[in-house]
Amino acid sequence: MSIGGSDLDKAITQLRACRPIPENQVRELCYKARELLIEEGNVVGVDAPVTICGDIHGQFHDLMELFRVGGDVPDTNYLFMGDFVDRGFYSLESFLLLLCLKVRYPDRITLIRGNHESRQITTVYGFYDECLRKYGSANVWRYCCEVFDYLALGALVSGAATSLSPTDGPIADNTNIDSLPDPDSEIEIETLNANGEIMYRYARNSDSQSNTASQGTSNPASSSPIAPTPSRTGPAGTGATSSANGSSRNDTGAVLCVHGGLSPLIDTIDKIRLLDRKQEVPHEGAMCDLLWSDPDEIDGWGLSPRGAGFLFGADIVKCFNHKNDLSLIARAHQLVMEGFKEMFESTIVTVWSAPNYCYRCGNVAAILELGEDGSNAGFVRRSNGERGGGGGGWVLGSNDGPNRNGGGGPNDNRRLSSVLGDSMQRTRDGPGRRYRVFEAAPQDSRGMPAKKPVADYFL
Amino acid sequence: MSSLNGAPLDTHALGHEDTSITRDAFKITTRKLPILKAGPIEEMTKNLGIAPPEMIFGDNFARIEHVPTGWRLEFNAFDALDRVDKTGESMLKVSYSKEWQQNRQKQFEDIKEVVKPFDWSYSTEYKGSETGSPTLQPTDTPIPLALLRRPDPILFFDDVMLYEDELADNGIAMLSCKIRVMPARLLLLTRFFMRLDDVLVRIRDTRVYVEFATGEVIREYTAREEKYEVVRKALAGSGEDALVMLRDPNRLAEYIPIVEKSLEKVVLK
Repeated sequence: MSIGGSDLDKAITQLRACRPIPENQVRELCYKARELLIEEGNVVGVDAPVTICGDIHGQFHDLMELFRVGGDVPDTNYLFMGDFVDRGFYSLESFLLLLCLKVRYPDRITLIRGNHESRQITTVYGFYDECLRKYGSANVWRYCCEVFDYLALGALVSGAATSLSPTDGPIADNTNIDSLPDPDSEIEIETLNANGEIMYRYARNSDSQSNTASQGTSNPASSSPIAPTPSRTGPAGTGATSSANGSSRNDTGAVLCVHGGLSPLIDTIDKIRLLDRKQEVPHEGAMCDLLWSDPDEIDGWGLSPRGAGFLFGADIVKCFNHKNDLSLIARAHQLVMEGFKEMFESTIVTVWSAPNYCYRCGNVAAILELGEDGSNAGFVRRSNGERGGGGGGWVLGSNDGPNRNGGGGPNDNRRLSSVLGDSMQRTRDGPGRRYRVFEAAPQDSRGMPAKKPVADYFL
Repeated sequence: MSSLNGAPLDTHALGHEDTSITRDAFKITTRKLPILKAGPIEEMTKNLGIAPPEMIFGDNFARIEHVPTGWRLEFNAFDALDRVDKTGESMLKVSYSKEWQQNRQKQFEDIKEVVKPFDWSYSTEYKGSETGSPTLQPTDTPIPLALLRRPDPILFFDDVMLYEDELADNGIAMLSCKIRVMPARLLLLTRFFMRLDDVLVRIRDTRVYVEFATGEVIREYTAREEKYEVVRKALAGSGEDALVMLRDPNRLAEYIPIVEKSLEKVVLK
């Protein structure tokens, strides 16, 4: 049988109910998916608006929760940054559902490869065993691995808005309303809970003064060093508004999405485009690095103490972003308790979308929404500088800045992108970022008993 | 109080605050909470001097307390991690490290510096944090296994994770604690399990046995270690599924020789 049209919709319905589809349908689906993916470049171009997601790891019910919180496909345009499989109990259903959606709505969902989308890793971390258990043979695992080899290595999001159009959502219970910035101000970051209630909001501050100097009584008119030039150059709603022309302040650079991070072999995005990706993830080389490396509080490049793998510091990210006209790198790969973590003055963010990871970590998950440039057409930017204490909104009840990170050195400037302008000319403003934070799906939705340790006579 | 980035502080996903049971003079307490948030992780990193494992259950513990004397034996993640080598002297390398580095050295001679070297396998010889007196002393008295094999009712049971790290998908390191309390005695097992794929397997068990009536406490420490390849070959000859076995320390233990063993005892009155 062939899988297309109504069959595909049937498969989607079945998978949404967390029921595997027959092996012959999987084969057909994987074949279709490969035909589609082979046409994609190593770096897929994606237009905002888009919702960026991190690791899923077979937590099917939490993926359903993600769709509930972020909107369904095809209404919401999704970009998943890999690690669909392993660890969780439903890698198969999770990956096949995403793949079905990809085949059904190819322009509304982008899948890129994570380090777990590999034969070697899946044999150790669960996906192989799961396929064997659910089908009695390794065929389905083999079909899926063939698809893995065709997944893109990264995505480049263009046309993201610099500021968010504020949500009308209610304020979350424990949010101090006074800590929210003026509704007229330009919203750079907003955090919403799973019910769409505002937990936190941060206004962009365009001045580049130090964070203490401008507290309180700064002159609103003089606090912006950048003249309020016309905010857009291109026609609204087209991707052409910004990318070529760097003269407009309201023009955010592109956002590179990749599972792990950067590689010392890659200094331009074009070099990623040149890689031969259609293979098992190698143990070394640029392709390996993109899927495996991590940002860290170091200068330049470093070797992981494990003896393989790279770590990269803030200077590497800033340099790469500048050279490639990026405003942000979004990556996944590392568990973060809060669901997302911005580092290096918001030039890179880790997004983690598997709540209560491995069913025992108790962490929350997040997805990152980037709006479409022009969605706030007619919006007049006010150069009101510091209002209500500037960074006051960043973290509820604490003074941690968005760039708070492990290092926390004395020179750690907690302001947003404004600082960057000092060291590097014309750095791009980051796009407006809306994080939706959610918890694990309720236990009763997953059809398995609540996790209570079973007493056993261990010795 | 809220947490970084406005993420909700409480996730009612799992775990519990303190639960405890008292049998005669002994009070047993466990605490199970989610992994630490960014703030406490930063604090712990500073205090430990090394980066904590990826999943760090820093609030959790299992504790045995002798109420009349105030003697305590507690198992927690911080103390266990404080015993991890922080110098990089006993640092392991992942299996493909050599291949990786040879290729890399040609390309990037300037990237040589290993960032903050330490034993990232988080191997610890932690046998618990003992406070009060008298203290555990070497003994020849073994744990009476026969008494533990009896199907006495289990009045209290818990399984407390202290830390876990996936070794960047090169295996697993985990430290966890199990405890079962029967009417007349208890057994606690704290196990460190580390498998570095294609390199090494380690199991380090600390068993604590308490006989309530006599106030006798026995602590047994058993360290097992073997090269991965040797274990894999032994498993291949056993007719078992080697991959499944390599993930199950309970069944794996018998294939790994003991490299260190100690017995200690204290009688609390």
